Amino acid sequence: MSDRFSAGARVRTVHHDPPHHTRLPRYARGKRGTVVEPEGRALLADRNAQGRGDAPLEQVYAVSFPARELWGEGDHDVVLDLFESYLEDDDPGDRAEAAAAPGTSRAQTGGKDGKP
Amino acid sequence: MARINDVGGLQGFGPIDTADDTEPFHADWEARVFALNSALIAGKVYNLDEFRDAIESMAPADYLAASYYERWFFAIRTLLERKGVIEAGELDV
Amino acid sequence: MTGGHTDADISRRVRRLETLLEDRGIVAGAALDETLDAFLSGASPANGARVVARAWTDADFRTRLLADGTSAVAELGLSAGGVQPQRLRVVENTPDTHNVVVCTLCSCYPVRLLGPSPSWYKSEAYRSRVVREPRAVLEEFGVRLPDATRITVWDSTSETRYMVLPMRPSGTSHLDEPALARLVPRNALIGTAVL
Repeated sequence: MSDRFSAGARVRTVHHDPPHHTRLPRYARGKRGTVVEPEGRALLADRNAQGRGDAPLEQVYAVSFPARELWGEGDHDVVLDLFESYLEDDDPGDRAEAAAAPGTSRAQTGGKDGKP
Repeated sequence: MARINDVGGLQGFGPIDTADDTEPFHADWEARVFALNSALIAGKVYNLDEFRDAIESMAPADYLAASYYERWFFAIRTLLERKGVIEAGELDV
Repeated sequence: MTGGHTDADISRRVRRLETLLEDRGIVAGAALDETLDAFLSGASPANGARVVARAWTDADFRTRLLADGTSAVAELGLSAGGVQPQRLRVVENTPDTHNVVVCTLCSCYPVRLLGPSPSWYKSEAYRSRVVREPRAVLEEFGVRLPDATRITVWDSTSETRYMVLPMRPSGTSHLDEPALARLVPRNALIGTAVL
């Protein structure tokens, strides 16, 4: 089993709204970020919380988001630990569109200050 | 929709009380709740994700009104009742 | 949730629960006491401070600590702690970057290295605001960072626990490791204090 994403990968969190436990906070849903590093595998919390013993082991990634992506303003970054199934490839086509749109902050991700 | 525990970015909680309160427990029952929860997870009666899920499932007004270990005790009772280890009302004697 | 119940009510219910679980062979009172003793004696911010002082005085250890916190603190007989194994990630403050740690969804925290968490760390006020306006939050702790300092907020949403490696204060080159450790307050390990 190889990791789907490596450090520096551009990802987008799923825009889900599950009727159960999840470790993807609402403020980081549907947001674009950059993978800092894989952290190791853990039982998918969404399933493990249901107590049936059938939760899959999934890679967890530290993913960094610029404040402007999360809040529309701000000059800090927020890093969250996210299960692989919370993440999708950030489509380059979408990214070009976003970069062209005024007021977006794509240029801030992954730069020299992007992440340790 | 999200659950009441998911407070990142939520407005209105006011300034932070930065007092350096380092007492681990403020009453003996809090210590017992802490130890019970550790033992129940270690004994695989439930897992940590189920425990978090049970806390998050509190009614929002109750969650906000409850102290930290009151939330824990609520979650322990919820899970033990759900799993048939104790019955509802059994603690109310 | 307590519906106006007093501390005495909860206290009675907790005792009742403990008795029921002991009678049913699910927990043992002696084991609970041991768990508590281990927690109270093993979890201390002095542990985290010791790790920091070692990193300040031993460059190779510092490199190992930043690359793999879990293994590096195990060299000192330490771990992040908690009811199940947790990965430790140490994040380093520099003149350009400041790190601060939170758990917005609950209250995850490397308890063995930082000691029992302070009430403010578990508060909705801290959890809701530090991801949104870290500069304002840090100012409430008396921390004013230069405008040019980039802040990273680490929201522990899985089983990694974070600890901040603060910058070593100037004028401390004469101090040995135990003396350096005494300079490190718990909040510096969370990122809500600087030295």
